[in-house]
Amino acid sequence: MSARAETREPAARDQRLVATWLTTMLAVFLLMVVLGITMRLSQGAVVSLSFPDFYAIMTMHGLGMAGSLFAAGIAMVWFVAARYARPSRAAMWIAYALFVAGAVALLVATLVGKFAAGWYALYPLPFLKATWPSWATGATIIALMAMGLAWLVAQLDILRALAAEYGIGRMFAWDRFRRQDGAPVPAAVLIASVCAVAGILGTIVGAATLMMYLFKWFAPATEFDPLLLKNSMFMFGHTIVNVAMYCGICVIYELMPGFTGRPWKVTRTVVLAWNATLLFILFAYFHHLYMDFAQPLALQVLGQIASYGSAVPATAVTVFGLGSQIHRSGLRWSFVPAAFTLGILGWVLGGITAVVDSTIAVNLVFHNTLWVPAHFHTYFLVGYVLILLGFLFQLLRSGAERLAKVGLAVMVAGGYTFVLMFFLGGMDSVPRRFATYQTIPYPWLVERATELAKWGAGAGSVFLVGALIFCVSLVLGRRRSANPDE
Amino acid sequence: MRRAASRKADAPATVYRVRRYYAVALIAGLALLLFLTLARTPYVRSALETPDKKIDVVGWMWAWDFQADGQSVGHPLVLPARKLVEFAVTSKDVNHGFGIYDPDGRLVAQTQAMPGYVNHLRVRFEEPGTYHVLCLEYCGAAHTIMMAEISVQ
Ligand SMILES: [Cu+2]
Repeated sequence: MSARAETREPAARDQRLVATWLTTMLAVFLLMVVLGITMRLSQGAVVSLSFPDFYAIMTMHGLGMAGSLFAAGIAMVWFVAARYARPSRAAMWIAYALFVAGAVALLVATLVGKFAAGWYALYPLPFLKATWPSWATGATIIALMAMGLAWLVAQLDILRALAAEYGIGRMFAWDRFRRQDGAPVPAAVLIASVCAVAGILGTIVGAATLMMYLFKWFAPATEFDPLLLKNSMFMFGHTIVNVAMYCGICVIYELMPGFTGRPWKVTRTVVLAWNATLLFILFAYFHHLYMDFAQPLALQVLGQIASYGSAVPATAVTVFGLGSQIHRSGLRWSFVPAAFTLGILGWVLGGITAVVDSTIAVNLVFHNTLWVPAHFHTYFLVGYVLILLGFLFQLLRSGAERLAKVGLAVMVAGGYTFVLMFFLGGMDSVPRRFATYQTIPYPWLVERATELAKWGAGAGSVFLVGALIFCVSLVLGRRRSANPDE
Repeated sequence: MRRAASRKADAPATVYRVRRYYAVALIAGLALLLFLTLARTPYVRSALETPDKKIDVVGWMWAWDFQADGQSVGHPLVLPARKLVEFAVTSKDVNHGFGIYDPDGRLVAQTQAMPGYVNHLRVRFEEPGTYHVLCLEYCGAAHTIMMAEISVQ
């Protein structure tokens, strides 16, 4: 409970820990990009995949992306927490080992065992008429449980460390509403706290869901309620994917002031917006169930209100905050602030298009069309990932600014073209999760969807080239700056 | 008073005025948007009317079955134009998506087909022609070929 407010530079061991996490996640991410391009190539009728193969790849792509990006987010939040509090390095290494073990098991279960129930494995799909062996279902469940445990260990420890340092009320900046005499909690700590609590709640719901799945796997005669499990699976999935984005925002609040020379102020508006996010984020997932008409109307309405409430205030204060950071600050647009700012732009665009889809009246014709992957690829691929790469560049103190910027430009060009193909597909009612469009009974739609998929595969490859250029910049830039007086 | 003075020191007062307008406009805009769109949800759409025709729909891996008065009516399902039709949709096994595409290939309405639950979807087919039902919820290997035809006359 010290009053220590100044930032402390993380020890070399902390840096190594976070760098190990993030480079592992970057490797997983690149592999998942390759799987994504493969899927678009199949939909574009360029390569021919069997249905079981396509859906196994789809399952791995979804789980791998959500899982590794969320894990990367936890590592970034851990880094922020380590600047202000004392999270445990040991807990974080244990979490890392658990995550990697889970990821390897998942790769085996999907790419070798061909487990193909989709990332959300809607109950009872994993257990009925499976095109894969039963061990692959069990291995997937256990792999996901290992990952969930990894997240839980890391997040609980971050929460413990922050609470020990600031106390429960102050970590959410509630003191701003009473007396304002003490120093406000750092902006990034507020967001780290929001991420930790929402992430923990989501992970716990996920763990409970997976326990039921495991039970069903051991005792196939057991029956669960499909609607209940749909709710819990989406609560888990939606929340962690959403929290991943906010973990990225957390490091922007933390690091951007280093470039502009201005503190990121924690005003009452900022506190209100992020506390609203913490509240609403837990109910926003109802927007996944709009087309389940059996769900009570009140929950559907709550879903729309919570979707607006979790996305809009946080975005609004962040954009305003970023604007007041940058405006007339004399900021030099080096790689990191450029990547951060572009990342926020992708988040905003992805957020707006998500809010459109979270509107029930629109969802009726957008649900399960390509509009859905369009919006989340926007905030991940040209949003969160750019923030992640900016952070990694800063963490590794790479000196290859120019090459990294070339990579960034290529990624932005490829990324936006890639997501545009999804948006156009969504507006044309192209269904998502189709291994092939050739079965659609409208020739013009088949042609259109196939064409868009081809362009998507091409643009995705451009993005991949940009990402590889960035990776080269990390290696070269590190070698360049690795002199003894650094 | 002192706070106002210290505020001036680090940012022009206009910033704060702009921020207040920004916040008020944002909240008002959101409230209006919620109000306008929530009135147009599919659940309340034509809720006060009595449907002219009721069809029970059962989905399974990987086909759709249409029933009227407990009898299977076969394919394609023939429906009248400009009449209110209620689909009572359910599933025999896993989750499916009951998505109706119009003769131009545009998605016009959908609901989920869930085991153990019945979802009621009301649709008025304005244009005669051939409509298709595509499964929009991933339901296993043959998901993309799970289809049915509706002939609106
Ligand atoms: Cu289906």
